[in-house]
Order: sequence, then structure tokens, then C-alpha cells
Amino acid sequence: MANAWLSTHLRAARPRVLAALNRAFGDLDLAEDAFQEASLRALKAWRQDQVPNDPAAWLIIAGRNAGIDAIRRKSREKLSAPEDLEPAFDGTHPERELTVSLDQAVYRDDVLRLLFTCCHPVLRRDQQIALALKVVAGLSVDEIARAFLVQPKTMEQRITRAKKRLQAARLTYEEPDAAARAGRISAVANAIYLVFNEGYSAAQGPKLIRATLCEEAIRLARLAVRLFPEEPELRGLLALCLIQHSRHRARLTADGEAVTLEQQDRSLWDRTLIAEGNILLEAALRSARPGPLQIEAAIAATHTQAPSFEATDWNEIERLYRALELIRPSPVVALNRVVVLARLHGPAPALARLDAIAAPLERYANFHAVKGSFLADLGRMEEARRAFELAFDLAGTEAEREHVRAKLKELS
Amino acid sequence: MLFSVLIYANEDFIDALSSEEREALLKKHRTFHEHTKANRNFAAASKLMSTGTSVTISRESGDYVVTDGPFTETKEQFLGFYLIDCATLEEAIEAVKLLPLDHGRIEVRPVDFFEGSDFRNGERLVINAS
Repeated sequence: MANAWLSTHLRAARPRVLAALNRAFGDLDLAEDAFQEASLRALKAWRQDQVPNDPAAWLIIAGRNAGIDAIRRKSREKLSAPEDLEPAFDGTHPERELTVSLDQAVYRDDVLRLLFTCCHPVLRRDQQIALALKVVAGLSVDEIARAFLVQPKTMEQRITRAKKRLQAARLTYEEPDAAARAGRISAVANAIYLVFNEGYSAAQGPKLIRATLCEEAIRLARLAVRLFPEEPELRGLLALCLIQHSRHRARLTADGEAVTLEQQDRSLWDRTLIAEGNILLEAALRSARPGPLQIEAAIAATHTQAPSFEATDWNEIERLYRALELIRPSPVVALNRVVVLARLHGPAPALARLDAIAAPLERYANFHAVKGSFLADLGRMEEARRAFELAFDLAGTEAEREHVRAKLKELS
Repeated sequence: MLFSVLIYANEDFIDALSSEEREALLKKHRTFHEHTKANRNFAAASKLMSTGTSVTISRESGDYVVTDGPFTETKEQFLGFYLIDCATLEEAIEAVKLLPLDHGRIEVRPVDFFEGSDFRNGERLVINAS
């Protein structure tokens, strides 16, 4: 048990420590190795009742020394040049000195730089997610591989390639100006949301929800909000994750089948998460700097405010989707808006609109499922069946297939 | 005499807790509840939402200024508080020893003024976030 507490301390300090080491060495691999070494030293030196006042500062010093040792060893191997690096610390760590210089501003910039490195646009989305989980959250390659249903070896390669790609891009670490900083923060918010979504609606595989990923994303979002309380989009992100996650108990049946919003038992929604999400959103909206995540959070929040599915304020939700289409247009948003329009005006006009947005959604299972249910509502059963069958073939998860299967059964 | 029991801890650490660890912390809080209720010391308990939910209001040159978040330059955050009614500081300290003290710290401070409903039964009003 005592050891478990210590590893929780390590997990909690990880983003800050790794961020500082990444700045010191300018090399993710070296920073990770140094953190690993510092953690081992901490596990030997710390006791349950004698954790340093500032574990992060302790680990940064230990990690920095470990990193310098490693660099020195390497250079000794390469050339037997005389030793001219500073002597490393001997293992006792007066963290107080360093704490003074490590104020919040330095932490913020370090962590932002680390997050931005992991979420850099030269990386593919799956690489961003993998790196953020590995480097910032500290999940093992095996854990990440399991979450994404790939072999550990495949995940290892994905991470290695991502790091190579970052090195090739020769990231510069100069201070970003205000615009660049805003861009970075939104990239970080998006990457954290990708992690969340990967847990919330897995693209493939048997399980629709992978709670660990959702919880890691929430932890990262909380950290981001704490570091940048003045960024409304980050609060919007956290609000969105909390409200979506509040439904996790209601989203699957005991057999692991997906339950639609319409069918969910609202008494199973976690009211504490909803309350926190709503107040975060309210605080975010006060800044009058709306962003896509704040709007998505507002949509999710509107659902939570309705006592039943029938009592949902569809007009408000339609307005919010319209706003979302303006600031971040996407085929999926357009589809969602059509679904809401069907609630407001019935299936016939919605079906007509569906044709207008069909082109980019041809391979998207949910598009055909939506089309199927509009057709069924209009009594065009044969066409509905064909749409559902197409949705079945395109579905990525077993839960999704099960959902479509149930729809097909209803038709007959 | 009324004492405020103010709880501070690092939210990064709180967020990193596993559900078993969280449960171990809550167990100590429950012990504290039971103990202070049995002794009729318990007045109120209040657990705060994350610091991300907060705004700070101040006044600068006559204008109200509402800023997001708490003051962030602290390593530990204010997470919640208890009110307990004890005869002596010693008694309050003894009760607080039941709380989880391995992480973060707890400040005990006597209350100078209090107005509120009769709390001695402790059980009457429970408000959850929802």
C-alpha cells in the first residue's frame, strides 16, 4: 500500500517534472529516461510519512542529475575527453532552493511546451494521442496498446516514429507570441479531447467505452485548467468531458450494448459531474470568447438540464449546432444538426437535407443509421432496411453493430 | 468553541488518486464524521468543487474585477472545510488527527463569529452539488 501511494505521487508530479526535464535537455527520450531514474531514486529515498514538501522539485533535481550523468556516460563512451561537466548532485536534495526559482510561470510554460510537443501538428492524430498518454499521463506502452487494441510492438513503433518525426521537425523552443500561444492552447485542448473521445466512443473493437482513457483525459484537462484558468476554451473542454463522462453508467447495458440518449435512464447520470461541468461552462462563457469546445459543452449541458428526452430544449440545441457549424464546420456537425431538425420539424424535411450533406459521409455508419430511422419514421421500410444494412457493414464496434441489429429487428 | 478545520492539498495529487486510494481517504473522513457526531462536536462539512470552477472577485480603483480561478501561485489548493464545536483546541486537534494527513495539511482556526442554523444534530441538511 505504501508503495502505491508513492507511485501516485510520481504520477501526480509527472507532467511538471517531465516538462522541466524536457526543457533542460530538449530531448523527450532523455527526459523520460531521466524521469524514470529520478522515480527509482524517489522510491528508495522517500517514505510514506516523509515525502518531500515539493515532490516535483525533488524529482526535477534528481532527474536533471540523472540526465547529466547519462549524457556524461555517453560522451565518455564516444571520446575519452577529460571530464569538464559540473559534478552531479550526490543524492541528497535540498528542494527548497529550486522551489524558489520554479514559480508558477515557469511551470506553466514548461507544461505548455511539453503538451504542445506531444500535440504538434506534424504528428498524426493517433500519434498525438499515443504521445500524450505515454509522455504526459505516463501510461505504459502496454496499457496504451491495450486501450487501442493493437499489439504493444505496434504501439511502440507508433511512439518511436512520432518522436523521430518531432526530431526531424526540429521544434524550436522560443517563447511563442500571443497568437501562437492561443493556437497552441487550442491544439492541446483538441488533443486532450481526442484522448477523451477515444475512450468515450472507441472507433473500433468490442468495447464502446474505455473509462481509463476518459479519466486520463479528465485529469489532463483539470491540470490544463489549473495552469491556465484564464483560457475559457480549456474550461469548456473540461466541462464537456465531465458532462459526457457523467453518462457513462447509463450508456451501456449490463451486456455492453449501447443505449441511446433517448433510452438512457437519467437517474444513472452522475449529478456531481454534471454540476461541476455546468458551473465550469458558466465561468468559461463569462469571458465572452466562445470556442467550439465551449459550444459542444453547452449542447451537452442543455441535454442535462432536461428532465426527460422529450422535454429537451431542441430549439436551443439547434441554435448551438448552427453556431458550431459557423465556427467549426464539419460533416458530422452538419449531420447532428439534421438530427435535431428532425426533432423540430419531422423526418421529411430532415431526410431532404440529409441528401445535401451526404457526399463526405458515405462511409460513416451513423449517417446511414440516421437515414434508416428517418425512412422508417416515414414508413419507407424497404429503403430503411437497406440503409441500416449499410450502417451495419460500416460499423466499427460490436456495440454499434448490436445497435443497428436491434433497429433492423424493429423493422420486421 | 467553534473551530474551522481547513483542508489544503495538491490537486494534481488528488486527481492522480486511484479509486481505492480515494476510498481510503474517504474512509478516514467518515471516521471523523462518526467520531465528531457521536461526541456532538460536528457542525458542518463542506467539500469544494475543483479550483477550475472558481472565480475571484476583487476591487481595483473602485471597480469590481472578476478574474478566473483562484490565485494560482500556490502548490496546494483549498479543498474544503469542517466546522466543529469543541471545548478546547486540544479536543479539536485530537479529532483532526482522524483525518487523512499523509498528503496536504489541515489548518485549525477558531471561529470568531458564526451565524447559521442550529447545527448540533449535524444530520439535518445535506446539499450535494446537484
